[in-house]
Amino acid sequence: MSALDELAAMLREGIERYACDHYGPEARAGFIASSNGFSEQTWHDYTELGWLALRLPESVGGIDADPGAVAAVMEMVGRRLLMEPLLASAILGTGLILRLANNEQRTRWLPKLADGSLILACTDPRVSAAAPQLRGDHIEGAVDAVLHGDAAHLVFVFAREANGAALVPVLLDASMGCIERRNYRLVDGRGAASLRFNNAPVERLQSDGSKRAVAAFLEEADLALCAEAVGCMDSLLDATVKYLKVRKQFGVTIGSHQALQHRIVDCYLLLEQARALADAARGAVITAASERGRLLSGARAFISIAARRLGNEAVQMHGGIGVTEELEISHHFRRLMVNRALFGDRDWQFERFKECA
Amino acid sequence: MSASPSTILAEFRDDIRSFADNVVPALLREKSGRHQVLDKSDYHTWMNLLQRQGWLVGHWPREFGGQAWSPMQRFVFEDELARLGLPWILPFGVKYVGPVIYTYGSAEQKARFLPGIISDEQFWAQGYSEPGAGSDLAALRTRAERDGEHYLINGQKLWTTYAQWADWIFCLVRTSREARPQSGISFLLVDARTSGITIKPIRTMDGYRHVNEVWFENVRVPVQNLVGCEGEGWSIAKFLLKNERTAGAIVGTASHALRRLQQLVPTHGTPMLRDRTAELELRFLAFEASAYRAVERMQAGTESGGEASLIKIIGPELCQDILEATVEALGAAGVVFDVQALHEAAAPPLGPHDGGGLLKDHLYNRAATIFGGSSEIQRNIIAKAVLGL
Repeated sequence: MSALDELAAMLREGIERYACDHYGPEARAGFIASSNGFSEQTWHDYTELGWLALRLPESVGGIDADPGAVAAVMEMVGRRLLMEPLLASAILGTGLILRLANNEQRTRWLPKLADGSLILACTDPRVSAAAPQLRGDHIEGAVDAVLHGDAAHLVFVFAREANGAALVPVLLDASMGCIERRNYRLVDGRGAASLRFNNAPVERLQSDGSKRAVAAFLEEADLALCAEAVGCMDSLLDATVKYLKVRKQFGVTIGSHQALQHRIVDCYLLLEQARALADAARGAVITAASERGRLLSGARAFISIAARRLGNEAVQMHGGIGVTEELEISHHFRRLMVNRALFGDRDWQFERFKECA
Repeated sequence: MSASPSTILAEFRDDIRSFADNVVPALLREKSGRHQVLDKSDYHTWMNLLQRQGWLVGHWPREFGGQAWSPMQRFVFEDELARLGLPWILPFGVKYVGPVIYTYGSAEQKARFLPGIISDEQFWAQGYSEPGAGSDLAALRTRAERDGEHYLINGQKLWTTYAQWADWIFCLVRTSREARPQSGISFLLVDARTSGITIKPIRTMDGYRHVNEVWFENVRVPVQNLVGCEGEGWSIAKFLLKNERTAGAIVGTASHALRRLQQLVPTHGTPMLRDRTAELELRFLAFEASAYRAVERMQAGTESGGEASLIKIIGPELCQDILEATVEALGAAGVVFDVQALHEAAAPPLGPHDGGGLLKDHLYNRAATIFGGSSEIQRNIIAKAVLGL
């Protein structure tokens, strides 16, 4: 096993162990019921376990994880339905800072990211038609459904420069009075917010290279969401296969019916393909841009469709209990709905796949 | 059949549309059209309106207060109400236990229970499924043991819709364990307020309370609440399930959902959404035609035995796909869920005013291929009864 594989395996095992001890269905229900939709205590535990330093360089005590290790974490986030803003803050937001912040900004923010006292959220640069407008160091406009925008201290907003078409990420302090924030919940229980900016001051990052940074941000989002979806699908398949083996009707286990065997085999085949495409997309990050786009969007489009089908089948084969809050099935089902809607939905990804072909 | 199914009984449909426009209170219509959560009093208002119109039990025989509608009239009635986005007719009294009582019940039971069903003064719930008896309903284990002039009931029912509102629960219970499972089952009417009954909510992902667990611990039920004879419960259950599955509402529900999706295409549409919507329109056309053909055959007595199952398979699967496409078309607004807003008839935090309701319906509808006989069971019925496999 290479050192990189070892890191991924170690992170995977660490999350699995932590989730078994601290993240059972009842604990999770409690987290969702709390004001942010996640547990402050758990977030603090993540600091101790080093997961918030996943993307940070070793110079500030980080893990400096490679894409494979980040994917391993996101797969576990999907499997165990973790509610905390690992994706928004520790992966995507941190990634933007690492790519675009100057030394002074890095010194100011990286330690706070590592100790969990700074939570970041990011808007979706793909909804660029209605992107907020920059005027110098101020911003006008609105963004909706910002994942963890309710809990974030700072929000990365992809905004349009006054002089042209360039989309640049700028940082806003979400607690400022000139920002109207409306908080709500997504269907999977995670928090989100709509933000309206009335001439709000922003903090700029280094603007040169921001086009490349936007592309890298989206690639990181696609890879993370693919891995998370694979984790959810894996868990759904696992639970459904187990259920088919124990649920009895008409004196036999329902898994003894060939009609259901074939359907669950199809689910298994979807998961295998989803996992292979997620791996291929990760490998493609080093290839030419068009091939990269094709594989990344192809993976997200395929996984969106496959995850939908697997989610529907897992609910159906569980019967009534599949739609209850009590079982994780319905939670994975809803998590996958949100996963599909974030950073480019199925149709967007499929269109991009066609364009890159 | 040459005419479009939606023009069958056109005058009757016109009456229903005019009722919707002129009689149904705007607030109720709006709440229902936006797929908000309706409470018990909303349903009570709705059922009473239908009764005043003479429609609530139109499908019952005249001697019991109905209008002896044909199966087609009843199907059109339910179809048209749902097409207009009007509320569901809660079926437990008027569609399920009412016909059971006037078909199998004693004179005393008819006199005692039918008026309360028609006036909606007595709310009924259905005690069928159990933890070990879902698709395999005959495996039910809730026992009713004879104790003098009473039955003593012990056991548990599951998925009991709106049991929290119920005055009465009709139950399938096991009165004998010697015979084959089907012949040991009886049909009992149970006062929901009898001591020993505990009702617990089951929380579901659609965010509102509709299903429950009902526990029975030494619940005493007078023997005169037995419908038919001991052991006749399975025949009665099959009679009832056939009524449950022949539901015109599913055609109208699909039509209503499809129209909403079509409205989203110009504003939210990609070329892919346009194609997807067109494909769903085509599937609706085929479903509507075959559902009406199935009802015609049932009415003419030329059925193959698979008609109710055809409607119960295709309709809910189509509705699921339409709602899935709709929620996806809403994008981010399609994954924002505010349960409280749904109960208060308030606008959702994001997206169109009915967006939260559509999302709730999408989540609820995942169970539509499970309840009332799963799609798998329906396919078994067609394989056996129609194809002879």
